Amino acid sequence: MNSLRGWRLWTVLGFLVASAGLPALTPNDYLLQVLFRIALFAALGLAWNLVGGYAGQLSLGHVAYFGVGAYGLALFTAHSVPKWISVFLAASVAALFAAVIGSIVFRLRGPYFTLSTIAFAEVLRLTATNLNITGGAIGLTTPALFTGSSFWTLFYLSAVILAFITFLVNYWVSRSRFGYYLLAIREDEDTASAVGIDTAGYKLRALLISAFVTALGGALYASAFQFIVPDNVFTIDISVQIAIITMLGGAGTLPGPVLGSVLLLGASEMFKSQFKESHLLIYGLLIVVVVLFLPEGIVGGFEQRLRNRKKTPVDAAKALALGGD
Amino acid sequence: MTPFLQACINGLLTGALYALIGMGLALIFGVMRIVNFAHGAFLMAGMYVTFLLFDKFRINPYLGFLPAGILLFAFGYLVYRLLIQPVRDKSDFMQILMTTGISLILVSGAQLMFGADYRQTSIELVTSVLRFGPFTINAAALLSFVIAAFFIVGLQLFVTRTRTGEALRAIAQNREVAPLMGINVTRIQGLSFALGIAFAGIAGGLLLPALYLFPTVGEDYTLKAFVIVVLGGMGSIEGAAAGGLALGVAESITSLYLGNQWALAIDFVLFLLMLSLKPSGIFGRQRA
Amino acid sequence: MPILELDNVTKRFGGLTAVKSVTFALQAGEIVFIIGPNGAGKTSIFNLISGFLHPDEGSIRFQGKDISKLPAYQAARRGIGRTFQIVKPLASLSVLENVMLGAFMHTSSTRKAEQEAKKILAFLQMPHLENFPARGLPLAALKRLEIARALATMPKMILLDEVVSGLTTSEALALAGLVKRLPEWGVSVVGGVEHVMQVVMKIAHRIVVLDHGAKIAEGQPEEVVKEPGVIEAYLGPRYKELAR
Repeated sequence: MNSLRGWRLWTVLGFLVASAGLPALTPNDYLLQVLFRIALFAALGLAWNLVGGYAGQLSLGHVAYFGVGAYGLALFTAHSVPKWISVFLAASVAALFAAVIGSIVFRLRGPYFTLSTIAFAEVLRLTATNLNITGGAIGLTTPALFTGSSFWTLFYLSAVILAFITFLVNYWVSRSRFGYYLLAIREDEDTASAVGIDTAGYKLRALLISAFVTALGGALYASAFQFIVPDNVFTIDISVQIAIITMLGGAGTLPGPVLGSVLLLGASEMFKSQFKESHLLIYGLLIVVVVLFLPEGIVGGFEQRLRNRKKTPVDAAKALALGGD
Repeated sequence: MTPFLQACINGLLTGALYALIGMGLALIFGVMRIVNFAHGAFLMAGMYVTFLLFDKFRINPYLGFLPAGILLFAFGYLVYRLLIQPVRDKSDFMQILMTTGISLILVSGAQLMFGADYRQTSIELVTSVLRFGPFTINAAALLSFVIAAFFIVGLQLFVTRTRTGEALRAIAQNREVAPLMGINVTRIQGLSFALGIAFAGIAGGLLLPALYLFPTVGEDYTLKAFVIVVLGGMGSIEGAAAGGLALGVAESITSLYLGNQWALAIDFVLFLLMLSLKPSGIFGRQRA
Repeated sequence: MPILELDNVTKRFGGLTAVKSVTFALQAGEIVFIIGPNGAGKTSIFNLISGFLHPDEGSIRFQGKDISKLPAYQAARRGIGRTFQIVKPLASLSVLENVMLGAFMHTSSTRKAEQEAKKILAFLQMPHLENFPARGLPLAALKRLEIARALATMPKMILLDEVVSGLTTSEALALAGLVKRLPEWGVSVVGGVEHVMQVVMKIAHRIVVLDHGAKIAEGQPEEVVKEPGVIEAYLGPRYKELAR
């Protein structure tokens, strides 16, 4: 599959260095906040990509893990656990949730699977809203992981690091047996079983990794804004957004989620200032257009065209005739 | 005992409207296997149309729901031909995405046209109650119930007794073979979709007097609709009716004993229980 | 000891009994074909052996061990490979990658899996197709791909469901020649076909005939096809008279 040799490797490194250097150019706090979101959602998209892209399971309930990360940070630190340990503890708890949720939802196929992922996330949202420990609808405060005047720069860089690490995870997966197994599951679960793949087990593994990273993102987000409410960190809008940016950029590709985040969040920011209320409308129109004309996403469509340019079925028939049977 | 039975009665009254919403989705998802994540958005559209008729023309929502339903029928057909048909044979992934996109467009459209403010209608019927012994029944709720019941029975008869209804069920059973029977699959599917949307709109119109109206009011109902369809059994229209009533009662009883906040949670709990234990639903025959 | 034993296996779907008390065995190194008209239960039997279905009654033993309740992926790991009647390639992957999926069962190294896959493709005379996307390949190639992928898992036994159906006679004969050599590679074969083709006659050591889920005959190909019950099952009662 994808190899990071040659020009691809340099592009990635170049992109990384450029991203890291951005704050030097834009010391504006508001812009840094926007960049933070873009980098964060790139990470979230890359994390979702494992489950939704490679394994082909359309989860619209990933915000569950995001929220657990956020609330985990708040609750652990409230009990005197050091900040950074809380972050990783919260992510581990999210992975535990994923194990439980996954063991139930992966038995379902198609829309039932998607609906049940939404259902679980909603149950978590309602629980957070109704319990006292979680502060109910009023919410909780979360500690800032960084302080000082370079607040947003540090958060932005953290998000970039998270995105880069998740990118590396995606890269490793795409070249390993694990990745091939996920693709097989996506293409045809029966065939996958017939070659000895424990489909339920592998889906679960992908989900655990995905949930862990998503929760890290949630904790980072909670720390940056220092206050969380259920409707904010458990909202289905985040689940949808993660899925959309990955689909738009190209699910199952490496650069896809990053591209999707940059484009969609970037465009959304621009529209927010110009056409305050219509950015949701643009989102919706974009989705419709992508589904109708670009179902593989931008990067996916590009790669598909590259593949098709090389070999066509007609070539196959010729090769068969020449190869002699 | 009395509060329990009262809750059941209230639950049934609301349940009839849920039944409408569920039957609409059953037509679309159960019959055509199209995953319509925009169902609630269409309900919201129905509410806004009914509201406009009330606001501008003083038409009572209990009459205005009808033109709203008809308008949504036409709109639904249009949406089907333009946007749904291209993804009809594609993966569920694509359908969910497409209908999510449609939902976003509808909701933000409503926001642009009407603003995010909460609107409300004031009808006296909403506050008047009837008493039957120890039980009170809200007059407006009773009227909705009667109207909804009319449509529920009507749809059931349509699906089982008319040629078009039979064509619909034929397509549900086997889409490849149906054309061989002389059925114009595209047109019937379009009709089915439009009818499903119309029912969502009618339910919206009937809900208007009882709720606050705002652009995102429909979100909860999309999920509710799927819960109802799963409860009643995939592909079963009468199952969706039963599922809607059951859900109404379940919510009402949960509200009584655990408080309002948990009422929505019961939807999901039932949903997940149903999918885990008996995926074919109360009446269903197909597998999840 | 036979490598595969089915003992009074029965499978019902609601009111329909798809497989009725079927008993037969496969010896290591044999090629046995299950034949029967459409709906006879061949694919159900394959699904039962490979773990996609589980018997309601009776048992299935593979290499002496009971596999009746194993899930499909475990049956595959025990050494049961299979192809599907309606070919199921992993469409967006290349031919090579498809076969690698099978090879991955015995190695986690992508490089080794690639080497193994290339070897198998060479055996199946398809090396030139390696980098083509599986989608859009002609049927003959897809059938070979199914076999290649199953062989890459290094099975002890392979189930070939309708492996030559839909192919032209020359394609079918070529493929049959390949199947005939599988026991040399340590792979026993159970095949399933609807039509008693010359192909089957040429390569099968034994045939088992199914009709409406029950076994009605078993034995050497030339003899079985002359049995009245077999002729009746395929052609109807009138032709039974002609056989006498």
